[in-house]
Amino acid sequence: MSTEAGSGVKRRDFLKILGATGATTAVVGCSSEKVGKLIPYVTSPDNTVAGVSQFYATTCKECATGCGVLAEVRDGRPIKLEGNPEHPVNRGAICATGMSAMQGLYNPDRYRQPMLREGAALSPVTWDRALEVLGQKLGEVKSRGGAGSAVFLNAHETGSFPGFLDQWLSAQGMPAHLSVDTMAPAATISSNRAAYGVAWPSIDFKASALILSFSADFLDAWGHRVPQQLDWADARAQLEGAPKLVYIGARRSLTGLNADQWIPAKPGSEMAICNAILGRGTAAAAATAADVSEATITALVAAVKGAGSKVLALCGMNTPDAVECGTMVAEINKSNGSVGTTIKPAMAHAGYEGIASYLDLVDATERMAAGSVPVAFVRNVNPAHSMPKAAGFAEAFAKVGFKVSFSNMPDETSELCDLVLPDNHWLESWGDAVALAGERSFVQPALEPVFDTRSVGDVLITAARADGTIASRFAQPDYRSWMISNFAGGATAFATALTKATAPGSPVASRGTRNAVAARPATMSAGDGNMFVVVYPSATLGDGAGANKPWLQELPDPVTKIAWQSWVEIHPMTAKEMGVREGEHLTIKTAAGEVTAPAYPYMGVRPDTVAIALGQGHTAYGRFAMNVGVNAYALATNGFDSAGNLALGALKATVTRGEAHSPLVTTEGSARQHGRGIAQAMMAAAISAPEVEVEHHEIAGHVSQEFLPGLKSPVAADAQGEYANPKSKDKGMYNPEHPTKAEARRWAMTIDLARCTGCSACVTACYSENNIPTVGATYQGRALSPATWDERPGANIIKGREMAWIRLERYYEGNTNTENEFSPDFEARFVPMMCQHCGNAPCEPVCPVYATYHSPDGLNVQVYNRCVGTRYCSNNCPYKVRYYNWFGYGEPERRQYAWPEPMHWMLNPDVTVRGKGVMEKCTFCVQRIREGENRARSEERELNADEFTTACAQACPSRAIVFGDAADENWTVAKLAYDRRAYHVFKELNTYTAVVYLKKVNHPAPAASATA
Amino acid sequence: MGTIAQPVEGLRRPNIASADVQIPAVTDYEQVDREIIATLGFTKKWLLGLGVAVAAMLVGASAWIYQIYWGLGQAGYEPPVMWGVYIITFVFWVGIGHAGTLISAILYLFRAGFRTSIYRAAEAMTVFAVMTAGLFPIIHIGRPWKFFWLIPNPNWRLLWPNFKSPLVWDVFAISTYLTISTTFLYIGLIPDFAVLRDRETNPMRKRIYGILSLGWRNSDREWRHFAKAYLFLAAFSTPLVLSVHSVVSFDFAMSLVPGWHASIFPPYFVAGAIFSGFAMVWTIAIPMRKWFKLEHYITLNHLDATAKVVLFTSLVVGCAYMIEFFIAWYSGVRPEQEFFWYRVFGQWWWAAWIMLLCNMALPMSLWSQKLRRNPTWLWFLSIFINIGMWYERFVIVVPSLSHEFEPWQWGSYTPSWVDMSFLVGSFGWFFMWFLLFVKQMPVMAIMELKEIVVPKRKHAHDGGHH
Repeated sequence: MSTEAGSGVKRRDFLKILGATGATTAVVGCSSEKVGKLIPYVTSPDNTVAGVSQFYATTCKECATGCGVLAEVRDGRPIKLEGNPEHPVNRGAICATGMSAMQGLYNPDRYRQPMLREGAALSPVTWDRALEVLGQKLGEVKSRGGAGSAVFLNAHETGSFPGFLDQWLSAQGMPAHLSVDTMAPAATISSNRAAYGVAWPSIDFKASALILSFSADFLDAWGHRVPQQLDWADARAQLEGAPKLVYIGARRSLTGLNADQWIPAKPGSEMAICNAILGRGTAAAAATAADVSEATITALVAAVKGAGSKVLALCGMNTPDAVECGTMVAEINKSNGSVGTTIKPAMAHAGYEGIASYLDLVDATERMAAGSVPVAFVRNVNPAHSMPKAAGFAEAFAKVGFKVSFSNMPDETSELCDLVLPDNHWLESWGDAVALAGERSFVQPALEPVFDTRSVGDVLITAARADGTIASRFAQPDYRSWMISNFAGGATAFATALTKATAPGSPVASRGTRNAVAARPATMSAGDGNMFVVVYPSATLGDGAGANKPWLQELPDPVTKIAWQSWVEIHPMTAKEMGVREGEHLTIKTAAGEVTAPAYPYMGVRPDTVAIALGQGHTAYGRFAMNVGVNAYALATNGFDSAGNLALGALKATVTRGEAHSPLVTTEGSARQHGRGIAQAMMAAAISAPEVEVEHHEIAGHVSQEFLPGLKSPVAADAQGEYANPKSKDKGMYNPEHPTKAEARRWAMTIDLARCTGCSACVTACYSENNIPTVGATYQGRALSPATWDERPGANIIKGREMAWIRLERYYEGNTNTENEFSPDFEARFVPMMCQHCGNAPCEPVCPVYATYHSPDGLNVQVYNRCVGTRYCSNNCPYKVRYYNWFGYGEPERRQYAWPEPMHWMLNPDVTVRGKGVMEKCTFCVQRIREGENRARSEERELNADEFTTACAQACPSRAIVFGDAADENWTVAKLAYDRRAYHVFKELNTYTAVVYLKKVNHPAPAASATA
Repeated sequence: MGTIAQPVEGLRRPNIASADVQIPAVTDYEQVDREIIATLGFTKKWLLGLGVAVAAMLVGASAWIYQIYWGLGQAGYEPPVMWGVYIITFVFWVGIGHAGTLISAILYLFRAGFRTSIYRAAEAMTVFAVMTAGLFPIIHIGRPWKFFWLIPNPNWRLLWPNFKSPLVWDVFAISTYLTISTTFLYIGLIPDFAVLRDRETNPMRKRIYGILSLGWRNSDREWRHFAKAYLFLAAFSTPLVLSVHSVVSFDFAMSLVPGWHASIFPPYFVAGAIFSGFAMVWTIAIPMRKWFKLEHYITLNHLDATAKVVLFTSLVVGCAYMIEFFIAWYSGVRPEQEFFWYRVFGQWWWAAWIMLLCNMALPMSLWSQKLRRNPTWLWFLSIFINIGMWYERFVIVVPSLSHEFEPWQWGSYTPSWVDMSFLVGSFGWFFMWFLLFVKQMPVMAIMELKEIVVPKRKHAHDGGHH
C-alpha cells in the first residue's frame, strides 16, 4: 500500500525497474559471445541498403561460352552468381562451373600479393619491387634482342583483352600471344572451319528430328554447354515431336545417357560408320569395324535417310583422324540438306575464335626446350598439368630465361615461374567478351580485389608507361580507361551499356598475328595393348581448372557419381574376367605413361575399353586440388591430328590389376530403383493416347483415393484441408481464412524428367544459395584413432556424409545381367531429389522438440536453433533428404571448417550457417519466399505469379524445375502439377508431397533393327 | 544339505516348482546375518575389479569429452544409418534393466519362491542398467547440452516438447522407471540397513547406515507399514515393467522404416528385455554365488527356475522373429519383403545369424534339466545371450536404416573406435556402480531370507535379531 501516491517512484515501479536493470546487467554481463561485425561498411554508399542485394551484370569467364551472369552483391561482397535472364546466350541459366567462380574468387590459396623467386622458393614482394623487376627483365630481354622470341600463354578469352595484349606485345617487340584453351573441342572447331567456314555454327536441336552424336558430348563438356542444354531441353520438351538422339562412341557419357540409343562403336570405327551413312561403304564393313550388329548400322543408315533435312550430325572426337571424321560428319548434314536447318553457320558463336592449336603450344615448348626463349609469360594457363607429360612442358619451361606468371592461383606452371604478378579474378576486373558475333558482353568488377592483386591490363599498362620508348602508345592510365576510350559513345555510353551488360559491337582491338607454325602430318602412335582407353575431360572439373573449387570437387560426376577422386571405368564383364571388384586399383599403361586408379564397373563402356577422366592429379593449385586423384594426361602421347590438335582418343593400353583398394568416393547407393517408382517414364506414343482410367486399389486404412483422378494429387493439401479431400470435415492444420493468407498458399515444385539431363547445376546452385558446407577436403575427415585423422580426399563422402540438399539420383533400367553380357540397351533416368515438403510429413511427429514442423504455407520447416540432433527425422524420412552436421563445418575454430578465410565471404547472409549437431535440409529457399513476400508487402501489392523461384530452378539449364504456389492457379507450377505425366514419389506412403515429378518421356531406339 | 547343491550325477531330479524353491542349507537367522554381512568386507580382488571398471568407465568418459568437442562425426555413423551403437547399447541396457523389477515386483506378487535370493542383486542391476541406458540418448544426440529440451520445463517462450514423438515418451518412461525402481530398491533395503547399523562398529559407517535405515526399530507397526508399502510399490512397478520397453519399442514401431514398422514390437521387446535381463542376472549371480560363497542361497534350484524363464522368453522372442518374417511376406509390401530378405542374406547376414543362434538356438539347450542345473553352462549361455541380444538390437537398428525406401541412399555402417569406447565405458560404468553396491549394501535381502528360513528348534533362543 503506497502512501506516497503521486510522489516519486512507487514501490511496484521500483521493483520493475530493479528487475529490468538487473536482468539487463545479468544478460549483458554474462554473455560469452564476442560482439561480431555484421556490416562491413562504416559509411555505406548511397545506393546500398544493408541486407538488400544488388545485382551487377557481368560476363562469366570460366569457359569460352561467355554466359551473362549477375553477381549478387551484399554489402560490398559478391555472394552468388546467377544467370542473367536478359543475356541472349544463357537466358538466365548457369552451370555448376560458372557458379563455382565464386570459389575461385574467394579461394584461400590464391596468390595474395606478387611473388618473386628467391632461390628455390617464391617469396612475397611489394608491387613496386615486382614491377621494378619486371621492367628490368623486359629491358634486359629487349636490349639483348630476344623480344622476338618471347612467349605469352594466355588463357583463351574473347573480347578486347586479346587484342590489347597483342598491342602491348607488339609494342614490346614481341610476337602475338598464344590463346590456350585445352578444353575447347579443337578437332570439331577445325572440321567446322573446313566444312562450314566458322568455328562454331549454332546448333538447332528443336529443328532436328534425328541427332547423331559421334562422341559429341554436348551435355558434358563439349562446346557451349549452357545454351546447348537449354536448346536441347526445349527440344526434348516437345515430347512426341522431340528429336531422337543416337550416341555413337565407346563410352556412354552424360550425353550418351540422355540418348535414345547407344551404338557402342569401337574407337576408330567412326569413319566406317560415316561411310556407310554416306553410301560410300557397306553397312557390313561398318558393322565389322565398329563391332556392332549389321542390322543396327542398316537401321541407322535408314533412319538418317528418313530424317532428311532434319538430321543433325555432330562430331566431338579427338582421335588422330578426328578432323577428317568431323568433316565427314558435316557431310552427312550437307548431303541431307540440314545445313541451315539444324546447323546454322550463319549464326555462329564467337567463343572459340582465336584459339591457338596444340601444335602452336608444342612449337613453343620445343623452342623453350631449345633454350631460345628468353622470357615467357603465362596467365591462368597451366600446361605443366594440362598437357600430356610426353610433351615435356615442365622441363622445357625450366629452360626459359625469365618466367612471369599473371595467374591468380599457385598452379603447377605458376609455381615454376620467377615472378608472379597475380591478376585480379574476373569478378574483380573490367573486361568484355563476345559470345555471339556482333554481341558484346561486359565484365565489370563486383568488388574491390580481395587480395593485393592487380588487373593484368593495368600491370601491362604500368609496365609500358614505365618504359620511355613505348609509353606514348599507352595514353590511358589503366585498362578500364583504355576500354572506355575505345568505346563508341565514351564513358556515358559505357556506363549505360554496363547496366545491360551487353551491347552490339565487336572487340575494340583486333588480335595480332603470329608466324604460322609449319603444319605437321598427324601423328599418334596408338601404342599397343589389350584395351582402348578413352580419356575425356570431366564434366565438372574440366581438365583440371575446376579442381581448386570444393563445390566442383564435391559435385558427383553426373555419370559415375564419384567425387574427389579419379576412377577407371571398366565394363562389369571385363572386370569380372579380370577378377576386379569396385574400388580395386587398375593400372593403365600406354606408350606414354601409366596411371593407377580404383575401378568403377560401368556398363556404359565397351568391354574392350576403359575410360578415365581428366581434371585431377594436381601437385599444386591449392589445398582442394592437391593430392586428389591422378592426372590422366600422363596417358596421352604427344600426338596430334591433321589440324594440329591434341589427339587423346583411341589410345591402346595394357590394363592390369593393382594390389591396392580404395573405396570409391561415391554418392551412389543402389543404381536400381527396385521397382519402387522413383524415376518413372512413359513412352512418347502414350502421351496422346486416350487416357486410361487408373485402377484404384482400395486399401483398408488408406485415405480414400477418390480425390485423385489421374494424378490430381493434392499438392495444395494444406490450403484445401486435410489431404485435399473436399469431402473431409477436417480442414487441415491451418485455417484457410486466416488474414495472413499464408494458409492459402502451398509452395510446391514440379520437376520435368523429360527435360532433366542430370547435369547437376542445381546441386551447386543450392550449395551457393544455402551455405551448404563441402565435406570432402582432405582436412575434413574424422579421427581414425585419438592421434590420426582420415586424410583421404572425400573421406566423409565415403561415409555417406555429403550435405547436398538436392542430389541427382541416376537409376538404370534394363540390362541387369551386366557381369555376363554386354548390351548397349539400357536406360538412365535422372531424378533430382530434395525435401519433398510433404503435406503429411513423417519427419514432423517424431521430432521431440518441434525442430521440424509444418508452416501454414505448406513448408516443412527445420529450426536449426531448436534441433538437438536426435536424427529421428532422418530415419523416418522415406526420401532420405535430411543431412546432419557431423562436425562443426560452420565453425571457424574447427578443423573441418568448410569456408577457410576468405571463403566465408561468399556465405549468404540470409541463411544460417549451421553448427555441429543439427539437422538440415532443403527449405524450398524459404529466404527467397520471405524476401518476395516482404517485398510485395512493402510495395503494398500481392505476390505476382512466378515472381521469384528457388536457386535450383533459377540455375537449371534444362528448365526442368518449376517452383511456385500450387494453390494459386496463376503460377506455372499450379498448371504443371496437373500435367498428364505428373506423379509423386512413394505416393503409397501417403506423404502428400509438394514436389511433383513429370514422367520422363522415352522414345523407341531410332536405329532399332526390325529384328532387334 | 550338500545334496541339493550337488545334484547326483546321471540322476534326473524331480522338477521343483518355482514357487517351492527353498534354501534348506540355511538354518538360522544368525547365519543369514553373518554370511550376508561377510560379503561386505573389502578384498583386494574387489579393488582390482573396481579399478578395471573405473578404467573402462574413464575410457567412455574421455570418448565423450572428445566427441562433444569434435562432433558426432567421430562416431561411425554413415547416413542413412543415423542411429548406431549408441541406440543399440541404449536398448540393450534398458532391456537388462527389466529383469530386476520383474523379479522383485511381478514375481513378488506371484509369490515365486526362487525370487528371494536373487531379487536384491537383480534390482540393483536394474537401477544401474537404467542409469547406464539413460546416458545413451544424451550421448547419442548432436547437442547433448540441450538435452533438457526433451523434458517439459517451464520457459518464457512456452516451448514444450512434442508429445507426439516417441522420444519424448522415452524420456517419461525411462525417468519414471528409474525413479520407481530406485525407490523400490531403497524401500526394500531399509530393514537391511537397520541390520547393518546394528552390526556396524565403525562409527562413521554406523551413522550413515543409521540415516539410511530411517530409524528403523523393528516394531510391528513398522513391519506392517513396510509390507504395505512394499506391496504397493510392487503393484505400482508391475505395469512399468511392461510399459518401459513397450515405449522403447515405439521408437522403432512408430516410424515407417521397413523392419521397424511392426505392431508386434512391444510384446517382442518386453520378452526380449526379460530374456536379456535374466541372462545378465546369471552373468552376475553365478560368479557372485561362488565368490561370495553363497551357493546355498542361490541354489541350483534357483538357477533351474530362472532357466525356465529364459527358455520361455527365448521361445517368445524366437516366435516374434518368425512372425516378423511372416508378416513381411504376407504384407505384400515390396520394400518390406526386400528388407527382410536383406536382413538375413544381405550385408549383415552374420549379425542376424548371430542373433538367431544366440537367442533362438542355444537357449533350447535349457530343455535339458542337466544343463539348467549346470552353472558353468548357464554362465556361458548368459554371455551368448547378452551378445545375441546386443546383436538383436543391431539387427533392428542398422540394417533397417541402411536399406530403406530410397535405393539411391542405401548405405553401410562401421562403428568407430569412439563407438566402441562408449560400449566399453558403459560396461565400466555399470560394473563400477555394481561393485560399489555389493560392498556397501547386502546383495541379498536379509529380511526376506529370514522369512523363509526355518530355524532349528534346538537354537530357538538364538533366533537372530528380530
